[in-house]
Amino acid sequence: MNADWTGGPDQLVEADGQRRTAARRFRDASVPLIELWTYYYGLGGDVDEMSLDAYLNEALRLPAAQVGLITTAMNEFFGVDPE
Amino acid sequence: MTDNDGFRQGPGGFGPGPDTELTLQQLVLESTDIKAFLTELAVLASSRLSVPGNTIHSGVTVLRHKRPEAVAASDAAASALDELQNGFGEGPCLTALRNGHTILVPDLAAETRWEPYIRTAMHHGVSSILAVPLDLAGEAEAVLNLYSGCSNGFSAEDTATAESFAGQAASSLRLILRITQLSEARNDMSVAMQSRTVIDMAVGAIMAENRCNRDTAFGILTRASNTRNVKLREVAATVITSISGEEKITAHFDD
Repeated sequence: MNADWTGGPDQLVEADGQRRTAARRFRDASVPLIELWTYYYGLGGDVDEMSLDAYLNEALRLPAAQVGLITTAMNEFFGVDPE
Repeated sequence: MTDNDGFRQGPGGFGPGPDTELTLQQLVLESTDIKAFLTELAVLASSRLSVPGNTIHSGVTVLRHKRPEAVAASDAAASALDELQNGFGEGPCLTALRNGHTILVPDLAAETRWEPYIRTAMHHGVSSILAVPLDLAGEAEAVLNLYSGCSNGFSAEDTATAESFAGQAASSLRLILRITQLSEARNDMSVAMQSRTVIDMAVGAIMAENRCNRDTAFGILTRASNTRNVKLREVAATVITSISGEEKITAHFDD
């Protein structure tokens, strides 16, 4: 599942910034990917583990709804990001 | 560690034979978790290596998130020694853990490495230390720490038997690690299935009520969760309860 980028360059920059933050939080938490993915799946997430892996390595863009669920999963699983 | 009259009676017979293998297999089956297994392992190592006049205290340190943690010991003395070493951040057991090689310190009084730790250990009555890493094939890292109150408390034969014991223990440990990981993954998955069922149901309800699509419904649910600082699945449960009065939604899945 890839994102349909029709939002223009500004949204793209913003989404990439959001993705960078998610990648950093994942690295800092040093939690196994499968645990985060399982939690995200439990929230109703749609993408598979490999796509989540790619997203968290800044190699894939995901639809905004999935990004929102990944953020929620991280907030509930790691605690809210102080930054 | 006061029984250090320096007398060794007979060999510290804990051979690698089928007896040890059977005992370890039994431990894997009977242990409720990794900590319990490692504690039994430490007790076993200590009882097999101790001889009258030379009591061996045994502990296990594992690397967790790159930090050493004293997880199990045959007794309080060994546990305290492991903790001390982790506190100093250096010592024979940590070196053995990092390098993957057995380290024998036959006489602490003559040892020049790991100075602060060695001095403190001597205050605790330790005279020799044997550290044997457990080869877990990259799944984790662990070391078996053996302490004696006698100088030269470990003969060449003891070292060999401790190593072969560690080899067998490592296989058992890998097995129990894998069992634990699988059963944890299974539990996480079943929790996720329950949670997903409740959330999907609430999302459907919001879609019907607001005549919106799924992404919008998720957005509404997420915003409610964020503003009230309540977990998404709890908000979802509230939505369902408010509609149907049902308190508990359970999903059944075959294990």
